[in-house]
Amino acid sequence: MEIIKTIDLDIGYGKDLVLEKLNFSIPAGQITIVLGKSGCGKSTLLKSLIGLIPPKKGEIIFKGEKIDFSSEESLHSLYTRIGVLYQNGALLNALTLYENVALPIRMKHQNIQKDVEEHMVYERLSQVGLRESAGKFPSELSGGMKKRGALARAMVLNPEVIFCDEPSSGLDPITSSELDDLLSNLKENLGMTVVVVTHELRSIKRIADRAIVLHEGKMHFSGEYKELLSLSDPFIEAFFLKKGMDND
Amino acid sequence: METQTNRLEILADKFLRHLGNLKIFLQLLADEVFYTFQYLKKRRGIYPGEVGKQFYFMAYKSFPIVCLITFLVGVTISLTSAAQLKLFGADIYLSWFVGIAMIRELVPLMTGVILAGKIGASVTAEISTMMVLEEIDALKTMGIVPEKFLMVPRLIAITMAIPLLVAIADFVGIFGGVLVARIFLGTPPASFLREMSNIVHLQDFLIGLGKTMIFGWAILISSGYKGFSVERSAEEVGKATTESVVLSISLIILLDCLFAVILY
Repeated sequence: MEIIKTIDLDIGYGKDLVLEKLNFSIPAGQITIVLGKSGCGKSTLLKSLIGLIPPKKGEIIFKGEKIDFSSEESLHSLYTRIGVLYQNGALLNALTLYENVALPIRMKHQNIQKDVEEHMVYERLSQVGLRESAGKFPSELSGGMKKRGALARAMVLNPEVIFCDEPSSGLDPITSSELDDLLSNLKENLGMTVVVVTHELRSIKRIADRAIVLHEGKMHFSGEYKELLSLSDPFIEAFFLKKGMDND
Repeated sequence: METQTNRLEILADKFLRHLGNLKIFLQLLADEVFYTFQYLKKRRGIYPGEVGKQFYFMAYKSFPIVCLITFLVGVTISLTSAAQLKLFGADIYLSWFVGIAMIRELVPLMTGVILAGKIGASVTAEISTMMVLEEIDALKTMGIVPEKFLMVPRLIAITMAIPLLVAIADFVGIFGGVLVARIFLGTPPASFLREMSNIVHLQDFLIGLGKTMIFGWAILISSGYKGFSVERSAEEVGKATTESVVLSISLIILLDCLFAVILY
């Protein structure tokens, strides 16, 4: 079953068009990777899918409902069903890790009981291995810990889809691999749909079920990751060969 | 001819850009009024305990510098005026001058300028850094309205902090005048205050308070406007912070001028 579908989607900033005529669907319960060269519009696409950049043309359908970017209700409904892991974590620096993870809970249920909140927060922090760091501020955490903390915050309200923007960027291979395992666990154990924007080949190989490839402002490929690997396409081959060499 | 057309186009573009900015500023102002009333009614949408934290920063942390500056301003205008009044043998009227000038004009103006530099700059720097670090995007995708979450606690805190700051600043500024009158003119403090009470009334204090309150709100809206206008680069943070202070001080002086036209 598809959870997200785009129809003739054009996205851009101001007068500039970054991506055009995007038609793809993202199935539920799988990890879909959005890949392409730097600057090809991967993060722009992600921002549109999470309701931050309204499309210039076309539609984004989330679980059969069209996202209406001019309606606060429609966007709010989308926000309650997704979690986002930003490139740098985007934890609020003024709050501790515990408070960051508790923030979505407190804003949604203002009168929630303290013990229920603690249970929810510590459960997520334990899943990402940060239970002991709950009282620390983001400035006291390493890059990998910030991302794991941000992932805990993204999944604290059990969203249907988790979007990740370059989760491996700036991380060493071991920490990056741990984060990949966490994302795989979300799919395997919690049945969440995960959409990951990345160009890290190691991560792609480890976690991808499906792939969307962007190239020169257009969608170059959308389908099973295995199918992508078997394609004889000059861009895909060059991308994987060059990236493979970079990653090795 | 072509150059003239180009110049006109550039001018028209600039005008439209400024008009667009004004629209965004007014939109933010309207949104903040709406969000503040919405919060006061529903008590939702801001972080628990944030009003207290902001009040501590705005009132307690601003208190020493407001006291120092208003005391020095009180002393300076008293010394300057005392010298002139003495020439006409009108020493006793120093209290009139200091009372009215401090309470209605200088305390609101100086408090406004200090708050623009201290609170305005800090709010813009904080919000613009959050913009750059995608924290504002993160708030949005958590279903939180950043303009409410970040600005409403500050608006409520400044509304609570300003009466305290103005009362203290009035007291300290007039104390500067009393001191000068005692040391340089030999006027006893009791006479100074008795004379001052003949001309300064509660209404004057309320006018000064009202003006400072409006300056405070103008500072916060200006700093929020500049903070939220930053996009993705770190160098924009410094630029936005400077522009926010300049905008706030310009607005304070413009509003003060408008008040002078209306009130005198």
